[in-house]
Amino acid sequence: MISKKHRASITAALVLPALMLGACSAKDDSTTSTNTDAPKANTEVSGSIVISGSSTVEPITALVAEEFMAQNSNVDITVDGPGTGDGFELFCNGETAISDASRPIKEEEIAACEEKGIEFIELKVGIDGLSVITSEDNEVECLSFQDLYALVGPESEGFSKWTDAQELAAELGSKTTFPDNNLVVTAPGAESGTFDSFVELVIEAAGEARVEAGKITEDEVASARDDYSASPDDNAIIEGVTFDPGGLGWVGFAFADQAEGVKLMPVSEEANGECVAPTAETIQDGSYPISRSLYIYVNKAQAEENKGLGAFVDFYLEGLSGFVESADYIALADDAETIATWENRTVGTREG
Amino acid sequence: MALTSPEVTQHVVESKLKQEGSDRSGTAFQVLLISCLVIVLGALVALLASVSGDGLNTLSSRGIADFVLRPFSIRPEKTGVFQGIVGTVTTAVIVALLAFPLGVASAVYLEEYYHDNWLTRLIDTVIRNLAGVPAVVYGLLGYALFVGGPFKSLTGGRSVLSAGLTLSILVLPIVVITSAEAIRAVPKSLREGGYGVGATRWEVTKTLVLPNAFGGILTGTILGLARALGEAAPLILVGANTSVFSGGGWGDLTGSFTAMPMIISDWSTRPAAKWNGVTQAAILVTLLIVLGINTVGIILRNRFDKKK
Repeated sequence: MISKKHRASITAALVLPALMLGACSAKDDSTTSTNTDAPKANTEVSGSIVISGSSTVEPITALVAEEFMAQNSNVDITVDGPGTGDGFELFCNGETAISDASRPIKEEEIAACEEKGIEFIELKVGIDGLSVITSEDNEVECLSFQDLYALVGPESEGFSKWTDAQELAAELGSKTTFPDNNLVVTAPGAESGTFDSFVELVIEAAGEARVEAGKITEDEVASARDDYSASPDDNAIIEGVTFDPGGLGWVGFAFADQAEGVKLMPVSEEANGECVAPTAETIQDGSYPISRSLYIYVNKAQAEENKGLGAFVDFYLEGLSGFVESADYIALADDAETIATWENRTVGTREG
Repeated sequence: MALTSPEVTQHVVESKLKQEGSDRSGTAFQVLLISCLVIVLGALVALLASVSGDGLNTLSSRGIADFVLRPFSIRPEKTGVFQGIVGTVTTAVIVALLAFPLGVASAVYLEEYYHDNWLTRLIDTVIRNLAGVPAVVYGLLGYALFVGGPFKSLTGGRSVLSAGLTLSILVLPIVVITSAEAIRAVPKSLREGGYGVGATRWEVTKTLVLPNAFGGILTGTILGLARALGEAAPLILVGANTSVFSGGGWGDLTGSFTAMPMIISDWSTRPAAKWNGVTQAAILVTLLIVLGINTVGIILRNRFDKKK
C-alpha cells in the first residue's frame, strides 16, 4: 500500500501539468499588430483561405495573413511553404485558393489547372535578388557570369581549386584572376527554386557560347556541376561558404545580407563588364543581373465566391510594398500593373 | 555451489598474501567506466550549454508564458510555440492511448499465451526488425494510410490525428519488445506458484505477471513515447505546418497542426541572426515537455514498484 501523502503527490504530479496545459489557450492576437502602416482590413467578411506554395514567398504571405487576421479574426487563413512546384500541384487540384510562387507557372502546370477547370490570376508581388557569396577573405573583386560558369557550371565538375577553372574562364573571355584556394561550393540543391533561377539566369546565359562552340549540348548546359555540397538550409550554405577561404555559393539576397562573415560578390553579366553589387536599389531598378520575380496565383472562381479571399487579396495589394520590405524582399518599382491585373481579374500568365 | 572460478579466487588470495597493491586492472577498468560516463554527460552538457545561452535570454526577456502562449508569427520577436505544444502533447496522448494498450496486449500474448513454433518466432523477429526501421519510412506509411489514403475522411488528411496514428505505429514495436522483456523478467517460480494453487492462466497473468512487470513496461513505453515525440521526419511527411495558420488549439484533431520538432527544424533554417534565440528557446521548451513526460513515467513506475 502507498501512503496517503504519497498518493496525493502522485495525483498532483499528474493533474498539475494537465491543469497548466488546460489553462493555456491561444492568446487573443487582436492587439499584437505592430505594423501601424498596415492597411485597414475589411472586417465584415468571413471565410477560410488555404495558401501553399513557395517557401521563398511564404514569409510575405504569412506576414499579410497575420496582419489580416489581427484585424479580422472571422477569416481563417492557413499558410504553408512546401515549394513552388508542390504548391501548384495543390492549387491546380483545387485544394488551395492562393499559390505562392518564386517563378512563373509552367506549361504543364497550366495544363493541369485547365484540366480541372481552374482559372488563375497571376499577381507579381516583389523581387528577390540572388547573391553570389564567398568567404570574406576572398580577394576576387568581381565575378562575371562566365567566371561563375567556369566555377560551378556543368563543365566544372572535378575542379577542386579556383585555379582549375582559370583556363575555362579565359576561354570564355574572362580576365579575372582566380586565387590559389580550394574551391568549396555549397549551394541550394536541384529541387529548390533558388537553384533553378541561378542555373537559368547565370549558367545557361554564359553557357550559350559553349553550346554554339559545340563543347556541350543544350540539355547539359541547363544544370550545375554535380559534385558540390547541396543543402536546403540557407544557414548551412552560409556556414559552408564561411568555413573555407575558398568557399563559394549562392543564396537569396535577404539571407546573404543578414549573414555574417560572407562577402556579397559583385557580378557582371558580360566578361570583364560592369560590376554591380547586390543592394536593394540595384535589385529594384534591375541593374543587378541575378534577380527573379515573386508571384501569388489566385483562384479566380474562389475569389468571386469567397468574400474573405477577395478582401484578403485587396489587403495584400494595398500594403504591398510595406509587406514585401518587412519580409526583407525588394518591393516592385511600380505595382500599378499588379493592381490593375487584380482589379480587372485578368486571368492567365503573362510571363513567358 | 562455487560462485567464482578457482582461478579468480586463487589470484585474489595470492596477491593479498604477497601484499601487492590492489588489482591494477580493476582500477584501470573503473577509470575507463568513469571516462565513458564523462563523455556521455559531456555531450548532454554541451547540448544544454549551446541552447541555453540565447534560448534562456529569449525566454527571460519575453517571459515563458508569452512564448508558450503565442501562435506562430513570421516575426521572430512575436512568434510562439503554442500550436507546437498543443500538437506535441495531443500526439503524445493519442500515442499513449493507442500504442500502449495495443503493444502491452501483444506482448502479453507473445509471452504468456503463444506456443513456441516457427510462426511465432518469425513474428518475434519481424517485430524486432520493425523497431529498427527509420522513422521516415513510418512517415511514408502514415502518409499513404492516413493523409492521402483510405482513412483520409476520418483523419481530415494533414492533421494531428494522422500524426498521432503514424507515431503510434512507429512506437508499437518498441512498446511490444520492451513490454515482452519486462514480462519475461518476472520469475518463472511466481507463475508456477500461481498455477500450483489452481489459478487459471488469465488469473496468473492478471494478478502475478502484469503487476510485477508493470514498472518495466512503463519505463520502456515512456522512453519510446519520448523518442517518438522528438521525431520530425514522419511529421514532415504527414504535413505538419510550419507557417501562420488558424486553429491548432486544444481538441482540434482534424485541422492543420504543427509540433515542436517541426518548429525547431523549420526555425533553424530561417535567418540565423534573428531566429537563433527563439529556436533555442523552442528546444528548451521541448526538453521540458519530454522531461515532464519522463517524470510522469518515473513517478508511476515508483508507485508500482513500491506496491510490489
